[in-house]
Amino acid sequence: MIEFRNVKKLYPNGTIALDGVDLKVEDGEFVFIVGRSGAGKTTMMKLLLREERASSGDIIVGDYNLTKLRNYKVPYYRRELGVVFQDFRLFKDKTVYENVAFAMQVVGTPTKLIKRRVPAILNTVNLPDKGKNFPSELSGGEQQRVALARALANNPKIIIADEPTGNIDPKMSIEIMNLLMKINKLGKTVIVVTHEKALVDYYKQRVVMLRDGKIVEDRVGGMFK
Amino acid sequence: MKKRYRLTYFIGQAIKSLWRNGVMSFASIAVLMSCLVVMGGFALLVKNINTNLEKLNLMNQVVAFCFPDAKEEEIESVASAIEKMDGVESFVRVTKAEGLDNMREQAGEFKSIYDDINEENNPLSDKFVITYRSEEDVTNLLYTLNHTEGVRTVNASVDIAKAVLNIKNSIQWIFLGFLVILFVVTVFIIINTIKLALNSRRHEISVMRYVGATGWFITLPFIFEGIIIGLVASVIAYFVEMVAYNYIATSLLSGITMITVLPYKEMGLTVFLQFLAVGVGTGVIGSLISIGKYRKS
Repeated sequence: MIEFRNVKKLYPNGTIALDGVDLKVEDGEFVFIVGRSGAGKTTMMKLLLREERASSGDIIVGDYNLTKLRNYKVPYYRRELGVVFQDFRLFKDKTVYENVAFAMQVVGTPTKLIKRRVPAILNTVNLPDKGKNFPSELSGGEQQRVALARALANNPKIIIADEPTGNIDPKMSIEIMNLLMKINKLGKTVIVVTHEKALVDYYKQRVVMLRDGKIVEDRVGGMFK
Repeated sequence: MKKRYRLTYFIGQAIKSLWRNGVMSFASIAVLMSCLVVMGGFALLVKNINTNLEKLNLMNQVVAFCFPDAKEEEIESVASAIEKMDGVESFVRVTKAEGLDNMREQAGEFKSIYDDINEENNPLSDKFVITYRSEEDVTNLLYTLNHTEGVRTVNASVDIAKAVLNIKNSIQWIFLGFLVILFVVTVFIIINTIKLALNSRRHEISVMRYVGATGWFITLPFIFEGIIIGLVASVIAYFVEMVAYNYIATSLLSGITMITVLPYKEMGLTVFLQFLAVGVGTGVIGSLISIGKYRKS
C-alpha cells in the first residue's frame, strides 16, 4: 500500500510543489497521476523514489515511512520498486540481456538465477528474441519494453512509470500501456505519471489529478479533464 | 535468497574505467611512480649514510687505544673500567690482529702493502670501540677515558659525526618538502582521474541508484581504481629504483672503496612493501576524496 498523509513539499527557492496531499493506493491498483506542467507530478515521483524528502507529512510505502527513512536504507527500499522513465535510460553499450541482467547484478543476484530469469522477463514484455540486440537496434517502443523488463527484473511490488509513452509513437504507446495493464493483472501496483489525455481516457483506470500541488480530482474510471 | 557480489565485477569495472580514461590514468600512475622513486631514493640514501657512519665509527662512538705493548691483564683492566663508566651503551674490543685484518680488507687490491707486517712486528694496539648513550654523556666519558690507566689515546670524531649528521638531516628536510609537494600533486591528479571516471559513469550510476544499488556497490569500483593505480605505480617504481640504484652503485661508486654501498636485494623487500603501502594508500585516499565530493554534489 502507498499512502500520502498531508504531504507538503517546499523547495528552498520557496516553491510549494505539493500542498497537503492525501492519497491512498491499495496493493494491486492501477493509478494514473495526471496534471499540467508544474502541477506537482514530478515532485510526487521524486518523493516516491525517495530522491526528495517531504517537508511535512508522511509517505508510507509498504513497511517504509519515507519521511523518516534513513539514507542508508534507501537502496533497500528502491528494490521494492521498478522504475520506467520517459527517456528509457538504457545502456547503449550493453545488450538487451545485459541491460536487464544489470539490475539483478546490482542487487547481488546469483548468476544462475539471472540466466534463468532474464529470458522469462523478456518473454513477458514480448521481446523473447531481442536479448542479443543493442538498444540502438530497437525501436522506441521496444526500448521502452526493455526498460520495463529491467524494472521487473527484481520482482518489485510496485511499478512507477514516469511519462512512459512520452518518447514513442501512439501505436507503441498502446503496446506499452497494454503491457503495464498486463503487469498490473499479475498483482503489481502500477503508478503511471502522464499528461497524455487520450491514453488516460482510453484505459478508464483510477485517475488522480494534480493542480498547483493539490489533488483536485481522484476518481476510478476517471477521465483527463 | 543469498545475495552475492563478485570481487571480479568490481575489479573489472575499475580496469574498464582506467582504460576509458587512459591519459589521466597514465598521468596518475606516472606521477605516483615518480613520487615513490624519489621517496625510495631518499630512504636508500639515508640508509647508506647511516651504514657508512656506523662503519666509520662516527655514530655515537669513541675509540680508546691501549698501548702497543700492553699486556693482556692491562687490556682487560681497561675493559672492566669502561664497563663501569657512566653513559656507555656498549663496547667492543678490537685486537691488534683484528685491526690489521681490517686494514688489509679496506686496502682492497692494495692489501699487499701490509704483507711485511705480521704478529711480531704489528705496530697497532688493541682498541675499544665504545658506543655512548647520548651526546650529553660524551664530554664526561672522554674525560674519564683520558684519565684511565692503560689508555694511550682516545679518538672521538664527535665534530665530524655532527657535521655528517647535519648534512643528513638537511637532505632529509629538503627531500621531505619535495615529497610533500609531490604527494599533494599526485593526490590531486588521482582525484581528477576518479572524478572523470565518475562523470563518465554518471548515467550508469543514476540507473544503479534506481534499481537499489547500495553506496558501497557504486563506489567500490572507484576505490579499486585507486588501488590499481597505486599497485601499478608501486611495481614500476620498484624496478625503476632497482635499475637506478644498481647503476649508481656499480658505475659511479664502485671505484670508491671508502664508501660502502648496500646491495639493493638486501633492502628490496622492505622497499617494495613501503612502496605498496604508500602507493595503494595514496590511491585510496585520492579515490575517497573524489567519491566524497561526488556524493556531496
